Amino acid sequence: MAELTPEEFLDNIMIPEKSSDHICWNCTGLKPVLKGSKFPPADIIGWCKKIHWPHYWCVADFNVVKKCYAFEAKKK
Amino acid sequence: MAKDPRVTRIEDLPGPKSQGEMDEMKMPYEEYCKNLFDVGNEHTKPEALKGIKWLSCTMYIFTPHSVANLAELGAKVVKIEMPRMGDAMRHTSPFNECYLYPLHDTRPMTGTGLGFTNANPNKYFLTMDYHIPEMVEVFYGLVKKFDGLTELYRPGTLDKWKMSYRYLSEINPRFIYVWGGGFGYGPKIFGGSYDILGQAHAGLASVTGMHEYMGGHCTKQTNWVIDWQSGNIITCSILAAIHHRRKTGLGTMIEFSQVQVPTRMLGHTLPMYGKFGIVRQRWGNWDTQLCAHGIILCGKSDFPDADNPQDKFDARYVMVSAFQDADFKELCAITGMNDLYEKYKSHDKRVEGEAQVEIYGALEKWAEDKSRSEVAKILQDAGILAEPVRNDREVYESEHFRERGTVRWLDDPLFGDMLVHCGYSCGLMEKTPRRINWHWRPVGADNKKVYQDWLGVPQSTIQEWYDKAWI
Amino acid sequence: MCDIIWCKKEVDGKDCDTINYLDPYYFWNWEGTIACAECGTVYYIYMINGFMYKGPDERPGEKPDILPLYADKPYDGYSNYRPGVEGRTRPYQCMPRSWLTGTADMVKFSVRGRPVRGWRPQPPSAGLAGQFPYNWDIQKLTPEVWEEYQQKLSKGEVKDW
Repeated sequence: MAELTPEEFLDNIMIPEKSSDHICWNCTGLKPVLKGSKFPPADIIGWCKKIHWPHYWCVADFNVVKKCYAFEAKKK
Repeated sequence: MAKDPRVTRIEDLPGPKSQGEMDEMKMPYEEYCKNLFDVGNEHTKPEALKGIKWLSCTMYIFTPHSVANLAELGAKVVKIEMPRMGDAMRHTSPFNECYLYPLHDTRPMTGTGLGFTNANPNKYFLTMDYHIPEMVEVFYGLVKKFDGLTELYRPGTLDKWKMSYRYLSEINPRFIYVWGGGFGYGPKIFGGSYDILGQAHAGLASVTGMHEYMGGHCTKQTNWVIDWQSGNIITCSILAAIHHRRKTGLGTMIEFSQVQVPTRMLGHTLPMYGKFGIVRQRWGNWDTQLCAHGIILCGKSDFPDADNPQDKFDARYVMVSAFQDADFKELCAITGMNDLYEKYKSHDKRVEGEAQVEIYGALEKWAEDKSRSEVAKILQDAGILAEPVRNDREVYESEHFRERGTVRWLDDPLFGDMLVHCGYSCGLMEKTPRRINWHWRPVGADNKKVYQDWLGVPQSTIQEWYDKAWI
Repeated sequence: MCDIIWCKKEVDGKDCDTINYLDPYYFWNWEGTIACAECGTVYYIYMINGFMYKGPDERPGEKPDILPLYADKPYDGYSNYRPGVEGRTRPYQCMPRSWLTGTADMVKFSVRGRPVRGWRPQPPSAGLAGQFPYNWDIQKLTPEVWEEYQQKLSKGEVKDW
């Protein structure tokens, strides 16, 4: 097995609560709501760490992001 | 003008052109202020709240501090404590060591811890177990003679004892009643609270400390800021209620939930979420609204040979503020970061997170071979706002605080030589300044004064109550 | 709770069997080398968000970046290394309060050398129901402190600030 990069390793251990069609899932800036979290409110998939950095922006699950100027694909 | 536009010459600046001229220009106003406020002679002037009488059934810091403000301004405040035990805060002391003795006649080996400081100056100390049926009438007797009460029991406790606002306003319609506590009515009505709970519950701790990106965790402020600040805000409400009573002749009730206070202290945090869905993050010693505006670490300590590690290792931090374009240009010029100035000429560019990481990194690199005071001096000489991050000892030794009387020694009538700052750190007042008469007094130290002199209870009865531990 | 390195290195034919505790605030996101408190074997670890991403791998011959916070030997009657043991566990930069015994620290004089009522026992109150109507007359109530104060005065140990 090829060695995982730190990013891939994090993806493996931090299992997200939701799945959706957001392109954010492939972006390095997403900090997902983790599985089993009681907080935050149910209607976000996670936070964008990029657009308002150092603040985090709530990514709503009902408003599917299809393209984004700050998008930066995760390395495969 | 100097040849190099970055060089600032005192002649080119508006205002005084030399040290002598500056002294001359500032003298009349300085003299005026010195005479006006006359620091050190506060006790020769009248008291602003003289005539106001307040009862305090309080504990710890938050609610006692709300009435300590009144007491420092001249109100007559009676703190009612549990017989022989006193406020729980008396038994809370840093390191379990800093005590002043005695606490009470029945407990000769116990003292009052310094944790009690600042929340209880100038108060009269009464003991009374007011919830037992025998003492209820005595309590009502006090209510008839006083202007208000502050209490901190779980919501409804004093109501159960028939001592809540709806009962007391029947006895004294001018009575101002303050409840201060954790959550207040609502889903967590029975929830108790401490400062740390307030900091956590209302989101203050989540924006304090280093960012997740810096490897940081949410952090509580070391001191009990929410307690102290809540006390101040209650005092505002009390003063407003007193003013309202002057107009209408009626008392009022103030219900104050401590965990509300951090939301007030959080500035734009919640509105920003409401408008944009942005969750504010902590940003360590830097600032998300201004740059450069933060605390940097210098390479050398000001006290490299000190025994105290706080001096030896921590005397390396300097606060720097140069966020205006001209100031930032100057900062870049003297620290040799001209390329950064070119890169981040406008504030909206340099306030971005990535820019800040680069700017503060470069600043700390520049300060690597300098001590804290060298850095502060270089920046101050260039007209940039910079101050070393001081510890207590340096605050004590600071000329500034000494001259303005902020920190001073008090010859306490009962406890001797005490260093105080509480009343004197709240700004100067010309006609009716705040003052500290005493630091605090032992449990029940004013029992005879209140029961006999103010309520007319005979001494034999007082002794009987005392023997039964009702007072 | 924090992560550990259980050192099983064989030293002199015996397992080292020492548990090295890694203080979480340092190790939640951390990469570097740590020496076992008992045998000094250097381990490399790389932690991400509190998960061990790489290691612990032995790195013989390398210099450790940091020492464990605390270490103990559960198979050896729970002998341990407390924090701040030189060369074994991480030093901390503070003045240990070696005199902290759980009893109150009594003082008779403030930092500028004037009397302060910080010792016990003190004389009881002067009357009814625990009242304290009078000022503290040091000379009358505590003549021995008054005497000490006079000596301090004559030696010039009493300052204004």
